[in-house]
Amino acid sequence: MSTLTFATINEADVSAARKRYPQAFGNPLVRALKIGSWVFIAVYLAWSLHVFEIGKLLNASDRAWQLVSRMVVWQDMATWQYANIYRGIAQTIAMAFLGTLLGTIFALMWAFFAARNTMPVGIIRHAVRRLLDIFRGIDAVVWGLVFVRAVGLGPLAGVLAIWISDMGNLAKLYSEAIENIDRKQVEGVRATGADTGRIIRYGYLPQILPVFISLSLYSFESSTRSATILGLVGAGGIGMIIIERFRAGLFDQVAFVVLNVLVVIAIIDWGSGLIRKRFIGERGH
Amino acid sequence: MLEFKALTKQFKNTVAVKPATFTIPDGQMVGIIGRSGAGKSTLLRMINRLNEPSGGQMLFQGRDITALKGRDLREWRNECAMVFQQFNLVGRLNVLTNVMSGRLFHHNFFSSMAGVFSEKERAFAIRALDRLGMAHVALQQTDTLSGGQMQRVAIARALVQEPRIMLADEPIASLDPLNAKVVMDALRAINQQDGLTVICNLHTLDTARQYCDRIIGMQEGVIVFDGTPKELTDKAAREIYGAEAEDAFSEAMTSTALRPGAQRAQPEVRVVN
Amino acid sequence: MASITTNTPANGSDKDPVSLFESHRRQMIRDRMVVNVTLGVLFIAFLLWSAWISRFTPDRLAAGLPRIMEYFGSVMPSLQWDVLFESRDEAGRFPPGSLGFWYNDFWKYIRLIWETIRMALTATLIGTGLAVILAFLAARNTTPAHWVGVAARRFLEFCRGVPEILFALVLVFAVGIGPLAGVIAIVIHATGALGKLSSEVVENASMRPVDGIKAVGGNWFEQMRYGILPQVMPNYTSYALWRFEINVRASAVVGFVGAGGIGAELSHVISFYSDDRVTAVLILIVLTVTMIDLLSERLRHALIGKESLK
Repeated sequence: MSTLTFATINEADVSAARKRYPQAFGNPLVRALKIGSWVFIAVYLAWSLHVFEIGKLLNASDRAWQLVSRMVVWQDMATWQYANIYRGIAQTIAMAFLGTLLGTIFALMWAFFAARNTMPVGIIRHAVRRLLDIFRGIDAVVWGLVFVRAVGLGPLAGVLAIWISDMGNLAKLYSEAIENIDRKQVEGVRATGADTGRIIRYGYLPQILPVFISLSLYSFESSTRSATILGLVGAGGIGMIIIERFRAGLFDQVAFVVLNVLVVIAIIDWGSGLIRKRFIGERGH
Repeated sequence: MLEFKALTKQFKNTVAVKPATFTIPDGQMVGIIGRSGAGKSTLLRMINRLNEPSGGQMLFQGRDITALKGRDLREWRNECAMVFQQFNLVGRLNVLTNVMSGRLFHHNFFSSMAGVFSEKERAFAIRALDRLGMAHVALQQTDTLSGGQMQRVAIARALVQEPRIMLADEPIASLDPLNAKVVMDALRAINQQDGLTVICNLHTLDTARQYCDRIIGMQEGVIVFDGTPKELTDKAAREIYGAEAEDAFSEAMTSTALRPGAQRAQPEVRVVN
Repeated sequence: MASITTNTPANGSDKDPVSLFESHRRQMIRDRMVVNVTLGVLFIAFLLWSAWISRFTPDRLAAGLPRIMEYFGSVMPSLQWDVLFESRDEAGRFPPGSLGFWYNDFWKYIRLIWETIRMALTATLIGTGLAVILAFLAARNTTPAHWVGVAARRFLEFCRGVPEILFALVLVFAVGIGPLAGVIAIVIHATGALGKLSSEVVENASMRPVDGIKAVGGNWFEQMRYGILPQVMPNYTSYALWRFEINVRASAVVGFVGAGGIGAELSHVISFYSDDRVTAVLILIVLTVTMIDLLSERLRHALIGKESLK
C-alpha cells in the first residue's frame, strides 16, 4: 500500500472514485434544490424588507439617537411620582392574578367538555373546542381593547381580558392533560372496589392536579407579561403609565418604569419556579 | 523530532503532569501507559494544545509549539491529528462529511460555512476510507455505525489531515477486543508505511508491549518508565500500575484476545473512565 | 399475622414499628396542615389585596356584565337569510343583512392580513438567524470568552423581557409609522426568546464533536458549524416554526401602536365603531391564526416524526 497525498490526487483518481461511489459526489438535483431554497429565502427577505421600506432606517438615526440619549440620561428624578409607578405595577400583578384565577376556574369547566375521554359527544366537544380557539386566537391586548369599549377604561377591562384569554389557553392545555391520563392507574383504584368519588379522588386527581397547578403557574407568569402591556390600550396597570409618559416625551421615566417591570417579572418567574419545584417536583411540567 | 522541556499541567488544586522532559524522534510509535488518572490524557492533549500547558515548553522540529496562537495553532493541530476514545465524530453527519472535515483547515470561511467540499477532497476522503476498509459506508449517517467502525472513520479523518504526528487518546478503550485489534493494526500500519510518529495512550499493558517501539509509563503525573517493551519488566510494570496491576495484567482481557490471528471475539466491552 | 415478624423494640413496648410509623405519620400530617393553612391564608390575603388594588369588586363586575352583553350584541352582524348571498345592487351597494354588506371591506382586510403574515415570516427568518448566532455566543459551553457569554445572555434576557408592542411603540417613534417598526420589534423579541431556548439546547449538546473539529484545526465558527449545529438543527427548526405561530399573533397586535399589519385597522374599527365590522375583522384574524397553527403543527409533527424514525 503506497501512501497517498492530497496533492497527488488527479483527475483520474477523481473519476475512478466517482465511478465507484457516484452518490458521494452529490446529486446535482439535490444540490440545486438546496441552493435554490437558500436563494429563495434571500430573495424573499430582500423583497419583503424593500416593501417594508427598510431605507427608512437610514433617516431614523437622528431620532433614534435622540430617543436613546433621552432614555439613558435621567432628569428631575424627584418629580417622577414613584407612588403612581409602583401602584401601577401592583395593579398589573393584581390584574394578572385575578385574571389567571378566574381563567383557571372557568377553564376547569370547559376542559372536561373539550377532552375526548370525558366528553364522548363529538358535536359538543368540537363546538367547545372551536369556541376555545376563538378565546385563544385573539390576543389579550385585543380583548383588552374590546373590553375597554364595553366597560370603560381601567383595570376591570384588563382583568376581563386576561380572564378570557387565559381561559381559552388553559382549557386547551387542561383538556390535553385529561386526555393524556394514564388509564392503568384509574383501573388500579377501581380494582380496589372504590366508588366513583374515590376513583376521581385517588385515580384522576393525583395525576391531573400537579399538571393543572403547574400550567396555571406558567399562565400566571405569562399573564403578568401581557398585563404590563394591556395598559397601552387603556385596560389598567403599568402600561397606562408607560404610554402616558411616552406620549408626553418623558423617555427617561419610561426607561425607568420598564426596568422596574423587568425586575418584577424576573422575581415572579423565580417565585413561581420555586412554588412549582416545592409542590410538584422537578418532573411536573 | 518532538521535544518536551519540563512540560507541566496544573489544575486548580492538583498537578496532573509534573515537569516532563523527554524527546520523541520522528517515525516512532510510542505507547503511554499508566493507571486511570495518571495524567496520560492530559499529556497527550497538551501536545495539540486541547489542554493548555501551565509551564514548560514543547518543540517540534525546533519550532516552539507552546507559544502558537490563532491560525498558527490551528495549523499545528492540523499537522498533528488526534484520535479519541469516544471517536468525537459528528453523529448526525454522514461518514464522508466527517472524514472530509479533516480538511477544514484548508478551507476559507465561506466554503466551510456553506459545507462545500471539492471533488478532489471527496476522492481523497474515499481513498482514506478505503484504506481502512470503510468506503462502503461512506454515505451512512455516522451514528448508525458500531464503535469499531466509528474509530476507523475517525482514523480516516485523521489521515486526510495529512498529519506528521498521530495522537491517539485511548483509541481502543471503548472497543471490543476484535475491533481493538483492527484499530491498533491500522495505527501500526500508518506508523510503518507512512512513517508517521504515533503517540498512543493505552490502558492495557499487553497492547503497548505488542505494538509500540517505546513505552512511557506514568504514575501520578510523573514519568516513571521510559524504554523499549523488552526493558519493561513485570516488576517495573507492577510499579506503574500499583493497585490496578491485576486489572491491567488480566490475561483474558488483553493478550489472549489480541493475539494476532485470534478470532474469538469477547462479548465484553471494556470502558475506561 | 404470624408471617410478619417485627424487630423487638429496644426501649419500651410502645416504640414498636407500627406506633413509630403512626406517630411519624401524625407529625407529617400536622406539618403539612400548617403549611397548607399558611398558604391558604396567604392566598386569600393576596386575593383580597388584588381585588382591592384593581378595584375588582362584585358590584363593578355585576354592573359591567350587562354592558358587555350589550356591546357584544351590537357588534354581532345582523344577517338575514333571504338576502344573505345577494350581490351589489345598481347603486353598487350590498343590501343590509347580506354577507357582502357585512364584509364590505373584505379585500382590504385580506390585504392587511397578508401583510401581517409577511411581517411575521420576515421577522421569524431574521430572528431565527440572529438567535442561532447569539445562542452560540451565549451558551456556557460554546461561548468564545466568559464576558461575551455574560453579555450575550443579558442581551437576550432584555430582548425577551420587553414585549413586542413596547419595542414597536418606541420604534414607531424612531422610524415612523408602518410595518418596518413592527418587523424590527418582533425580530428583537423573537431573537431574545429563541436565543434563550436555543442556547439551552446548545448547552445540552455533546461537546465531543467540537473537540474533534478543534483537533482537526477548525476555528470557532467551524467548531459550531460542524460540531454543534448538526446536533441542534432539528430542535431549531421546530422552535422556529413554533415562534412563527407566536409572531403571527404579535404582528396582528403591533398595529395598535402604528407598526403595520391588521392591528391598526382592528384598533381603528374597535375604537370608532361598535358595529359588525368589529366581528368581521376579529373572525378573519381568528381564522388566520388557527389555520397557521394547524399548518405549523402538522409541519412540526412531520419533522419530529422523521427525526425519531432515524
